[in-house]
Amino acid sequence: MDFFSDSLRTAFELIVSHDLDVISAVQVSIIVSICSTVIATLFGVPVGVAIAVTEFPGKRAIITLLNTLMALPTVVVGLFVYSLLSRQGPLGGFGLLFTPRAMIIGQTLLAIPIITNITMSALKGADTRIIPTAQTLGATHLESMLQLVIEMRFGIMAAVIAGFGRVIAEVGVAMMLGGNIRGFTRTMTTAIAMETGKGEFAQGLALGLILMGVALTVNMALNVLQQR
Amino acid sequence: MSICYRLNGIRTNYGSRIVLEIEELEILSRHLYMLTGPNGAGKSTLLSHLALLVAPNKGSLCFGGETVLWNDRTLLGLRRDVTLLHQSPYLFDGSVASNVGYGLKLRGISGDELKFRMEKALDLVGLAGFEKRAARELSGGEVQRVALARALALQTKVLLLDEPLSNVDQATARKVEELLLALPAQGTTVVMTSHDPDHTRLPGCSVIRLAVGGQTQARCTRSCAPDAGASCR
Repeated sequence: MDFFSDSLRTAFELIVSHDLDVISAVQVSIIVSICSTVIATLFGVPVGVAIAVTEFPGKRAIITLLNTLMALPTVVVGLFVYSLLSRQGPLGGFGLLFTPRAMIIGQTLLAIPIITNITMSALKGADTRIIPTAQTLGATHLESMLQLVIEMRFGIMAAVIAGFGRVIAEVGVAMMLGGNIRGFTRTMTTAIAMETGKGEFAQGLALGLILMGVALTVNMALNVLQQR
Repeated sequence: MSICYRLNGIRTNYGSRIVLEIEELEILSRHLYMLTGPNGAGKSTLLSHLALLVAPNKGSLCFGGETVLWNDRTLLGLRRDVTLLHQSPYLFDGSVASNVGYGLKLRGISGDELKFRMEKALDLVGLAGFEKRAARELSGGEVQRVALARALALQTKVLLLDEPLSNVDQATARKVEELLLALPAQGTTVVMTSHDPDHTRLPGCSVIRLAVGGQTQARCTRSCAPDAGASCR
């Protein structure tokens, strides 16, 4: 059972040797995941708040749809966006396929249902006095919503963290829309899939450990942000 | 003597249950009103209408000579003249100062004026120097007093209070009573609910009694004679 000790040593060596391929994969993973999480947050949080605080016909259907979308396989999203971005697709003219931008589009679609849904659930448990209190103190409709978001920021932060967790860990979209191009669209997850396919288990596991370290660092940074 | 509120044919129900029914009620400006009645008589519901937070299912409410239309565009301007202190108030997460300053900042008040009004309001409720305390670490009575200070700081034309003295100690209650009694002379209309029978005997206060059940009736006793001088547009 030298397998784990081997991979641990390999991981350590990869980190201290500043292996260019590893650094590039880490960079692509982080940049693509952060961009898609930010875009998905800008869309998902307001929509989640709107669904939580308003009553309208078809609300239950939308919640069911969001729950279903949360379980959407990453390869299905990859396939869907691929069909849009490929040469024959309606957006083929932009030449986005197999670029980091294509990965951002796909991962944004993956993160939106999660961020919207968890934001909505968090706000459903919010104190019902928050909005009337803000309003009776002179807040507009929008200002009272903003106060609600501020009061419920821990729940909303959890939504964002969950969205980030989904996109940094996924491989389907990154593989299908990025194409695992070395130094360009290769992420940590696509690199792990490839190394494992080549039989380089130690290398794959080493990358996996680095991925965990990166996720831990990002979450710790968000945690610090949350405490303030 | 001008009319602050005029209610006509008000009816409010939660589901099929009627919680408030008022045929006619007038509330005069610069008066102190004591709203009494047993549990479930609709006192808090009436206050939520007067605060322009919740629209009644039926009837018209006239505020400051204007019929309230209950749409977002007109409500904001009217709401800024009223504030409601909830029975169990909610303090926003943050400091006492951020709570008391919240409504002032929304009104564009800042700097020295903000500081002055905040200190004055906290002093009135006996919590001078509490600015930096965290709202979540206050006792129940302190929460109620901070919420009262938050409402007083706004200096609105109308102050609505739902059981403002239920959670505070005797000495503070007396102080707050004195404070509220002095407000009408300074131009504020005050409507408060209370279960304490002594409160209906406070000098210069009019009593609005709500009865429980579908036949809820609002009756004014003392100094609340209808005034035909002002009317609703």
